[in-house]
Amino acid sequence: MVAATVKPAYDQQCVHLVDDDEALRDSLVWLTESQGFRVAAYESAEAFLAAWSPKMSGCLILDVRMPGMSGLELYERLTDMQSTLPVIFITGHGDVPMAVAALKKGAVDFIEKPFNDKDMLRLVETCLALDREQREKRLHTAELRRMLGLLTQREREVLDLIIAGKLNKQIADILSISIKTVEVHRARVMEKMEARTLAELVQRVLSVDKD
Amino acid sequence: MQSNLLPASPAAVSTPPARAPLAREWLWNAPYLAVGVFALVMLALVWGLQKRELDLERNTLARDVQWAEQTMRLHLQANQEFLVQLARELAQRGLNAEEFQVRASQHIANNPELANVAWVDPDEKIHWAAPFDTTDWLAGQRLNAHQAPAFANARDAGRPTYGEPYVDGRGKKQVEIYVPVFDGRRHLGATVGVYSVDAMLRHLVPAWFTDKYQLSLVIGEDNVIAASSATRPVDDALVYVTPIEPVGHDVKLRTVGYRTASDLSRSVPATLIIGLSLATVGALWALSTHLRRRVQVEKERDRLFNLSLDILCIVGLDGSFRRVNPAFERILGYPPESLSGTPLLDLVHPEDMAHTVEQLEALAGGTPCAFDNRLRTIDGRYRWLSWSANPVPEERLIYAVAHDVTQRRANEEALRAETAFRKAMDESLVAGLRAIDMEGRIIYANPAFCRMMGFSAAELIGMSPPFPYWPPEELELCQRNLTLTLSGQIPSGGFEIPVMRKNGERFHARFYVSPLIDTSGRQSGWMAAINDISEPRRARAALEASQERFIAVLDGLDAAVFVADAHSDEVLFANRAFKAIYGFEVVGRRAEQVAPGVAPQQPQYATDPRQLAPDDLPRDLFDGEVQNPLSGRWYHLRERATRWVDGRVVRMAIATDITERKQIDEINLQQQQRLQQTSRLITMGEMASSLAHELNQPLSAIANYNMGCVHRLRSGAYRVEDILAAMQKSSHQAERAGKIIRRVREFVKKSEPNRAPARLAEIVEDAIGFAEIDARKAAVRIGNDVPEDLPPLYVDRIMIEQVVLNLVKNGIEAMQATLPERRELRVSAHLADTRQVELAVSDHGHGLPPDANDKLFAPFYTTKSQGMGMGLNICRSIVEFHDGRLWAENRPGGGSVFRLTLPVYAEE
Repeated sequence: MVAATVKPAYDQQCVHLVDDDEALRDSLVWLTESQGFRVAAYESAEAFLAAWSPKMSGCLILDVRMPGMSGLELYERLTDMQSTLPVIFITGHGDVPMAVAALKKGAVDFIEKPFNDKDMLRLVETCLALDREQREKRLHTAELRRMLGLLTQREREVLDLIIAGKLNKQIADILSISIKTVEVHRARVMEKMEARTLAELVQRVLSVDKD
Repeated sequence: MQSNLLPASPAAVSTPPARAPLAREWLWNAPYLAVGVFALVMLALVWGLQKRELDLERNTLARDVQWAEQTMRLHLQANQEFLVQLARELAQRGLNAEEFQVRASQHIANNPELANVAWVDPDEKIHWAAPFDTTDWLAGQRLNAHQAPAFANARDAGRPTYGEPYVDGRGKKQVEIYVPVFDGRRHLGATVGVYSVDAMLRHLVPAWFTDKYQLSLVIGEDNVIAASSATRPVDDALVYVTPIEPVGHDVKLRTVGYRTASDLSRSVPATLIIGLSLATVGALWALSTHLRRRVQVEKERDRLFNLSLDILCIVGLDGSFRRVNPAFERILGYPPESLSGTPLLDLVHPEDMAHTVEQLEALAGGTPCAFDNRLRTIDGRYRWLSWSANPVPEERLIYAVAHDVTQRRANEEALRAETAFRKAMDESLVAGLRAIDMEGRIIYANPAFCRMMGFSAAELIGMSPPFPYWPPEELELCQRNLTLTLSGQIPSGGFEIPVMRKNGERFHARFYVSPLIDTSGRQSGWMAAINDISEPRRARAALEASQERFIAVLDGLDAAVFVADAHSDEVLFANRAFKAIYGFEVVGRRAEQVAPGVAPQQPQYATDPRQLAPDDLPRDLFDGEVQNPLSGRWYHLRERATRWVDGRVVRMAIATDITERKQIDEINLQQQQRLQQTSRLITMGEMASSLAHELNQPLSAIANYNMGCVHRLRSGAYRVEDILAAMQKSSHQAERAGKIIRRVREFVKKSEPNRAPARLAEIVEDAIGFAEIDARKAAVRIGNDVPEDLPPLYVDRIMIEQVVLNLVKNGIEAMQATLPERRELRVSAHLADTRQVELAVSDHGHGLPPDANDKLFAPFYTTKSQGMGMGLNICRSIVEFHDGRLWAENRPGGGSVFRLTLPVYAEE
């Protein structure tokens, strides 16, 4: 079903394109490739869903109105599956309200036919940048989680109390251990979390907890 | 007391005639008088008897006394004789002292009344004295002063003389007789006999005498010198005094009879008589008092008997009247005297006969009874009487009281009927009734109310607020309404509150409250009538919804619709389209003023609507085109007279703005006009939208190809073959855009209507081309199975294309609820016979309703939420214009098929 001119590579960003009109699809591939983007084209929403994987990176250009599953329905399905792929909707005449509804649900933007090539390409670039940023952030969070996972039970308790703003003496009292032991744990936590200062430690832990 | 039971007038009560009071008094006193007289006579009789007895006693006494006196005298004379003898012998000296002593003593012994006998010498000196043992008369003693005079008298008189009685020194009463002794002339002294007075009384009269009488010697009148013993009482009335002649000196013998009976015994008869008389009088008095009381009581009883408003009667055990009181006549009309002896049963109502006989038998058996029956009045009617009867078997009578209860019976009957009516009413009442007292306690709840609330009356009555049928969430509202009720501030229209049945179900009820006034005119509470208004509410809501639908439908029309009264021309209703044209304040104004152009002139009507009777309705009045003189717009106006909701005759007008059509009509020929009519099936907006979309596709593609080329050419990294291929694709898309434009142009082309040979396959292809946009929107696949090799048809191509397009679009819309994979529409055709081709448009939609063929092609019929329902009607017209047929049928596998036949082109 995948009528792709270029095979999608999951480690690289790729512009995914879903449109039922063959001419439009073909011409958009032509246009996008002219800017050096990797492009994967699909003739229907169902085809894209079949090819979709959570690791997909890049962005998605989606025709709102298609026979079978509509662009909007596809977008809802993707959101349900927690896809973070930024989406650009292509709308025809009279579909603007539909696109606005999509925007409110979090799609990146929409573009109305017939569209200016510059607008389209700029939108694609914005989306790819957004996708990259999200991906990096996810990676970073994953790293911090890994580091937190290295902490022992006791170190985790000490860390929680440090973040709660307790002094070493208070921590020793609460956990019924000596101040010396607290200091040792503290040093181990800083080491494992690769934090140089207390502020850095707190920021790292909080950035993980926020997600 | 009821008015028909007139109180007895005093005159009607006969009282016994009063006898003369004097005579009656005399009668009352006569017994007393008789008793008095009797007592007096008796007393007199007794007194007479007693007196006679006394006289007898006196006579006896006198006789006895005389006898006694005589005896006494004889004794005294005997003693005197003895003394005289002694004196004589003394004078003769024939007697010595011893002889004297013997004789004297002997004599004394024989006559105990003599105490002493002595001989006193002339010197008054006692010479001899007998008896010898005497101590009183001692020889030698001289006579004392008492004795001397008698001695002297005797000496002087020369005959025996009694001396005066005296009491000697020792207290003895004595009387002495001195008999002088003369010897010749010589005085020799005297013989003395000394009588003891006491002994005289004792011995001179016999013992029976002294037993019978008390004797006493008195000197003068009352100087008692001696008396026999007086131990017994004496009767002073029986006194007899007789002088003792021999003694003289006024000495008398007083004899008093002993009382033979005591005074008491003597007074007994009188006492008895008086006592008995008094007792008799007392008894009489008591009797008379009793009698008077009895008479009084009898009088009162008579009065009561006569005055009683109830019938009082005495009936024999045989059931016949003995006595009746005047009330009997008053109530039943029979004069009391005419009834005596008449059997009671003669008057009893036949229905009550058995019962009455039974009661009479019980009465005869001695049992008091109370019962009701009906008696015939003198005028033949019957009155109800309530009897209370007591038998007195020993008198063989029954005493009975009867109260006239006819009115009460009637009242009771009326009351029972009223109660039954009320109960029936109560039970048949649909509205709930509930009464509360001034404190809000429930004092009454009718069955409907109980049914409504699901509680029994027993549960509700006596309950104080909050009531169990108050929904917990509405307590405050219910309480507020109750407070308003109790303070009398409830509006006359009542109020609505939500209430709760026992099973928790809620509904709305309307309470109409009115004050509850008791018989004394005092308000005793509040009565509420309760209606369950859930149903009316629902009905109202349903009505409102239907009204809304009706308004929505009419307002949704492009056509202006209004209704005006046929007579007054007042606008009663106008839809939005009408208001949009003529202003929003049209209802109530005259149609002619509001919309002069819409209302045709009177002569244009087929019938004058004002002359139409309700039976003539509905009737078409006008169907034609009119022009609004103000705006110059044309309307197709259809007016008909019909009956309005309130029954009056109205004109209902539907005005469709046909200005555009008119204008086109004016420019184009009739064929063209019909084309325009069909093209109205697709609104201009739809057309524009689909055109834009259709054109967007090729235009976007062209732009993309071109800009792709531009970018590549600029960057220098390209292959010529690629660029060429892109350019070719681009120009192909330009052609595609051109085709679209051409198709639109063909569609709107104002060409001459012409029936010309045309190929069905082409027509269908074009129609499908137009429907493609809708098909994509609805995700419907369209299959074209029209064979290429069909013979050409003789039709107006554009019109048939519109028909096909219309059928295809209907099919697409019918499949909105179908699963996406089944959304397939198929257009097929075959040669039906040599002269006709049959075309079929089949879908997998909802199919047709059973009676579809009748309604489907009727104007304004539609199953779609949007749409005028004109499509199929016009389609059929077009097909029929081509001598063909258009019909619909359900498809065996679901969905529907529209078929039409079209003529084959025949080369003449």
